[in-house]
Amino acid sequence: MTGGPKLTTQRWRFWRRRWPWIFLIASLFIIRWSKGTGLLDVYAFITRPFWPGTSQQEWLLQGAQLEQKARLDLLEQDNMRLRRMLSLKESSKDDFFSLPVISRKSNGWWQQLELGKGKFAGIKNGSAVMGPGGLIGIVQSVTPTTSRVRLLTAPGSQIGVWVNRTKRHGLLLGMGTNRPRLTFLDKDSQAIKGDIVSTSPASTLLPPNLPIGVIQSIDANAVPAPHATVQLFASPEAIDWVQVQRLDD
Amino acid sequence: MIRFRLGSVVGLSAIGVPFLTLIAPSWLTLMGVGPSWSILWLLPWSLFAGPVSGLLSGFALGLSLDAISLGDATYAPFLSILGLWWGYLGKRSLLFQRGFSLGLLSWIGSIFVSLGLWLQFVLNGTVSPVTLFNLWSFHTLLAQSILTGLMAPLICSLLLMCFKNYRFLPSSNFSRDSL
Repeated sequence: MTGGPKLTTQRWRFWRRRWPWIFLIASLFIIRWSKGTGLLDVYAFITRPFWPGTSQQEWLLQGAQLEQKARLDLLEQDNMRLRRMLSLKESSKDDFFSLPVISRKSNGWWQQLELGKGKFAGIKNGSAVMGPGGLIGIVQSVTPTTSRVRLLTAPGSQIGVWVNRTKRHGLLLGMGTNRPRLTFLDKDSQAIKGDIVSTSPASTLLPPNLPIGVIQSIDANAVPAPHATVQLFASPEAIDWVQVQRLDD
Repeated sequence: MIRFRLGSVVGLSAIGVPFLTLIAPSWLTLMGVGPSWSILWLLPWSLFAGPVSGLLSGFALGLSLDAISLGDATYAPFLSILGLWWGYLGKRSLLFQRGFSLGLLSWIGSIFVSLGLWLQFVLNGTVSPVTLFNLWSFHTLLAQSILTGLMAPLICSLLLMCFKNYRFLPSSNFSRDSL
């Protein structure tokens, strides 16, 4: 062997003293080749508590909602100004006031709500009644301190409605069941499942553009006119407070 | 004094009918349809008080129910007929005051009133002829009559007991016809 026992011991010592460096450089090479395996993972692990959390997401969502609300307000103002120019019926949030539901019969022979304010509060027959989501009925009679609402589902309830996508009018008839029937005035309704039903934008009896429901199924071959089944947005079984339209004359 | 007490019991329980109809407790419904409280009150009262009182109180109940409902149809004639009929039955025999008879009578009465309402809806044109036999009316009719018939043995016998307690007190000196 070259060297002898002393030299061998010296070489060994040299390697033993420098192995951390070698190990470090080797592992850095590996990291370099693999474009950061390990290093980025460690970084991710350490910084995980400082990642943008759900709270930050909520701020962003709130910001977005605020922006949408502002846009909606602007559009509503714009819409009202245009409607005024065309002298159409206008409606805004200020035209509605909240009333408690004091008696509720959403099934059975009579499908009606009794509300906790009446003539004294300025409610009149024919006011539109909104639940969360959309129109649920029309005020049918008032006493000095209560008012009675005929639900859209009640047999005998009839209102003119509008399918926005096809720009066609129809008649929404209460059938007693949970889903009223939309009878189209044209033979060719062109409506499809999922179309939104609302009050007519040119309506004079009801506030314009109130959402009512979604078309759930269509019977296109029915005589004398095709009809559809409408699922209402608002469910009267579970509503404690409603919005009633203020009518002035 | 006793007459006053009977009158107050009858009056209070009768006022309960439109109130319960308005409250319409949601936990006491069969598939969303509540019992017919008017029949649950009218049956024991007509059995107890006779045909004339039955007819009049049926008419009065009908008027008050018409006042609190939407008003496309009226209850009054049907409840009056039921009151008259039950009054005659009550005069004839005490057997009709048994639990099973109460259940059966109220079941028949509920079906009668429901059919009457439904007929009026059809004649009014409120329910279109296309849906003459629509599911909704039969659903309501069946649910209401079954629930009324089931509750009658409990509530009607309780009310009958109340009425009789004040009727047969020792110092009572008025007859059934004086009511």
